[in-house]
Amino acid sequence: MSRLVVQARRHDARFELNVDFSIDGGTLVLFGASGAGKTSTLNAIAGLLSLNDGKIQIDDTIYYDASQGINLPASQRRLGYVFQNYALFPHLTVLENIAFGLGRQRDRLEHARQWLTRMRLKDFGERYPHELSGGQQQRVALARALAPRPRLLLLDEPFAALDRVLRERLQAELRQLQRDLSLIVVYVTHSLDDAFAVGDHMAVIHEGHVLQQGPLDDVFQHPVNETVAEIFGIRNLLRARIVGSQLDWLGLPLHTEITDRDRDRDRDRVSLYIQPSEVKIIYPDAPVAEGLGDNLFEAEIITRQRHAAGWSLRVRLSNDQNIEIHHATAAYNELDLAPGQKIRVAMKREALQILRRGDSA
Amino acid sequence: MIGPPFWLSVKVTAIAAILIFTIGTALALWLVRRRPRGRMVIETLIMLPLVLPPSVVGYYLLIVLGQQGPIVGWFGIRTLFSPTAAVIAATVVGLPLMVQAARAAIAAVDPALEQAARTLGCKETMVLWRVTLPLAKRGLLAGIVLGATRALGEFGATLMVAGNIPGRTQTLPLAIYDAVQTNQHDLTTQMVLLMTGLGFFSLWAVRRWEPASKGRDRP
Repeated sequence: MSRLVVQARRHDARFELNVDFSIDGGTLVLFGASGAGKTSTLNAIAGLLSLNDGKIQIDDTIYYDASQGINLPASQRRLGYVFQNYALFPHLTVLENIAFGLGRQRDRLEHARQWLTRMRLKDFGERYPHELSGGQQQRVALARALAPRPRLLLLDEPFAALDRVLRERLQAELRQLQRDLSLIVVYVTHSLDDAFAVGDHMAVIHEGHVLQQGPLDDVFQHPVNETVAEIFGIRNLLRARIVGSQLDWLGLPLHTEITDRDRDRDRDRVSLYIQPSEVKIIYPDAPVAEGLGDNLFEAEIITRQRHAAGWSLRVRLSNDQNIEIHHATAAYNELDLAPGQKIRVAMKREALQILRRGDSA
Repeated sequence: MIGPPFWLSVKVTAIAAILIFTIGTALALWLVRRRPRGRMVIETLIMLPLVLPPSVVGYYLLIVLGQQGPIVGWFGIRTLFSPTAAVIAATVVGLPLMVQAARAAIAAVDPALEQAARTLGCKETMVLWRVTLPLAKRGLLAGIVLGATRALGEFGATLMVAGNIPGRTQTLPLAIYDAVQTNQHDLTTQMVLLMTGLGFFSLWAVRRWEPASKGRDRP
């Protein structure tokens, strides 16, 4: 199996890049907000961005090694790179675009035609890129990057501009290609849907640093700190303090059990979060359901908004923390959930996720 | 006689056009891609012949090409009052138009396309030949047509450094001046119409090649 190791450092007046990650085969998702340094990282791997220090290596091919003074030019790195807006050559036909990286091989057009067929573009070889739809352009860009048979494929938000149906289809095709050609894929995105559709591993990148990396599900389910949780769009981050084997949270007793593993993560201050859909509203008169009675709060509704999937409420808890609640359209029909109303909410024990203390806290 | 000055003009313009194209494209590439220090000053200097009186350009050329000048001093090449001087004068006045057009055309090439070519194995010269120049083609064509037409019409500086020697350095614009002085109305009319036609044609061609809208930039 192939192995890619990336340690890239670059400092300039505006931005510091200092990323560290590695991957053994499969697809690594570089996840982060725009401006986090995702594209810079791809460019560093491709040799399009100069570095101050670090090492980039795939198997025994060294792309860059500051200590040995090695810096392979982009033209000799032999990797595939699909740019954000495809960067297809507008003055060349689709076939010529795909054959572009095949140099002077005699069978270059033949080889490019095979890629046309493989990418279901057989009848489009003589067209120009601007005559194709977005999804077709995307497949041309993929074919062009893969035709020279690279071991490593870099993709920069490749499906961002496409509609959902097309995106899902291309995601599946990409997975297939990754397996068929046993590629290492580094996939940049800021969409979790994209990440889960194509990724095996994930590295979360923020302000030029990798904050966490590992198997995709692991990283997503156990963000190491608040910053990572926020990057994932996790709402309802709460601060708490561990009191013995119980949580004391801003003076309110919480009967949530803390396992030893959780306690080891930090000394006594922790952050925790709960998905907005896991916060339940309690009917005033009805008995509290099993498992919901532990963490009950008085709250006041601040705003209420309608979404496609239901309602979202912002409420202020009695300890002045604001949290968000999502519920289905049909739920809580009998309650008056207008802004200003007082309600009682419950947080299930199992739904509370504990994070390590955030760097940005 | 319209023949000798016409053919001399064609020759002078053709050689000047080749020089304008290569020097102008190289200068534009250097200015856009390397972004040298003092870029504004260099660009302004290149543009100067557009606004200076032809006599001023001619005077500078006299100094450079003359007996005391570096060309004679360093290389021993005497060019004054030869067709070569006419070529040099034509090149100097045509160059600004080429540089201006080429600079805009090269700057308009999406750097991502050049990056893509690099990742596909192209070295820098190949990037230039396969991506940058083909994509800047329309702008380069417009520049060379404008520059060559300006070179064809060059009068003042040519008169000062190449003279007005019939059959040797007398180009069409100079021949027109002579013909007017000697009251050869028919000859004047022919040559004036010829020059006007060429000028019209070149401007019309440039308008056609101008990238009308971005994006549809294919040949």
